[in-house]
Amino acid sequence: MMEKMIFGRYIPGDSFVHQLDPRAKILFVFLFIAVVFIANNAVTYALLLAFTLLVIVLSKIRLYFLINGLKPVLILLIFTFLLHIFFTREGDVLLEIGFIEVYEEGLRQGIFISIRFLVLVFITSILTLTTSPISITDGTEVLLHPFKRLKLPVHELALMMSISLRFIPTLMDETGKILKAQTARGSDISSGPLKERLRAVTPLLIPLFVSAFKRAEDLATAMEVRGYRGGEGRTRYRQLEWAGRDTAVLLVLAVFAGLLWYFRT
Amino acid sequence: MGNKRVLVLLEIAIFAALAFVLDFIAFSMPQGGSVSLAMIPVVLMAFRRGVWAGIGTGALFGLLQLILGRYYAAPLSFGFVVLQLFLEYIAAFAVVGLAGITRSPYLKKLHDRKFFAAGLLVAAGVFVASFLRYLIHTAVGVWFFSSFAEGNVLIYSVTYNATYMVPIFLLTALVCWGLFTAAPRLTDPEN
Repeated sequence: MMEKMIFGRYIPGDSFVHQLDPRAKILFVFLFIAVVFIANNAVTYALLLAFTLLVIVLSKIRLYFLINGLKPVLILLIFTFLLHIFFTREGDVLLEIGFIEVYEEGLRQGIFISIRFLVLVFITSILTLTTSPISITDGTEVLLHPFKRLKLPVHELALMMSISLRFIPTLMDETGKILKAQTARGSDISSGPLKERLRAVTPLLIPLFVSAFKRAEDLATAMEVRGYRGGEGRTRYRQLEWAGRDTAVLLVLAVFAGLLWYFRT
Repeated sequence: MGNKRVLVLLEIAIFAALAFVLDFIAFSMPQGGSVSLAMIPVVLMAFRRGVWAGIGTGALFGLLQLILGRYYAAPLSFGFVVLQLFLEYIAAFAVVGLAGITRSPYLKKLHDRKFFAAGLLVAAGVFVASFLRYLIHTAVGVWFFSSFAEGNVLIYSVTYNATYMVPIFLLTALVCWGLFTAAPRLTDPEN
């Protein structure tokens, strides 16, 4: 059961996209999600695909990883495609099988939304494939800084996020170990009748939770003795550096948005 | 003690991570789909440290899924993508923290050693939490389907979301009932 667990999807590398500042990449993805919706005809959707292809090439991510990330969304993609095909009733009828009629406009809309799907999944996957979770956290903390005025606990949020990320692999190991130990004692969660499997949940959770509380307490003590007093005046071990290429990437996106706007109908 | 606040923050962080890990332990359903243990750490934090800690744990768990790329969004419009991600990943798990509304009567029953009543209160809290989460998923579903078809999208969304939320509620309520009455130490913040 534990073999299925893949923590994050970050693939280290030194491509152009890998080297960008996480803040630039997060901003880029967020703005890109908005830009995607400018496209509304064949030319603009073709441009979107070409632009995404360029980003994929620049990230030097093997296509295998991107396709892999697409698998779970595939059902949703096919589903929305079919919804468009069957529920749009505009334009000429292209196909008629019994009571099912496929209209030209429906096919067009179906193809367009599938491209939108692909492009969005690829671009967001490239963010998580080329940026380590901890960099995303650091970047988000800085980007959310203005919200401190609205009393959003930005620093605490980033702190908790980095601790969660740090502990996920540890807790996965531990869960795997306890699962094995309990299976060895005859309490098996992954096979047998449902009733027996449910009965195996408690012997897994109790040791897991007790040790998690212990970890939290030890960590709190460790932080206290090292003088942790919250976000004010705290210095950083990992520094973010904004370079010329980060500005350039955002400018390119702005130009691309203008181009789409020019060609849309 | 000065570090009480830090301790609560750390417990939230570690239990959100646990929710992420336990999300992989899923029981597959006969009619397809799966039901995971992810809500249990969130409910536990809600009963141990109160509603706000529960909400924090749930919201952080949602954020972890977003950062680690375990999410699906339907690109109908920019507003839909942003709101859907916020509602279905952050808000939907944050409301699970509201299971803690039955916390103080639960602690009282526990103190009086009335374990059955305490268990019922846990189940009631989990019910409120699951129902609110169900409402959010249903509302997003109605919004999603109404952009394609007219007719009764409400009934479709209500039924579809019930197929996984009812088993999740039953599993979470059952396990939490057993867990919190068998090991009341877990919900005692001094332990």
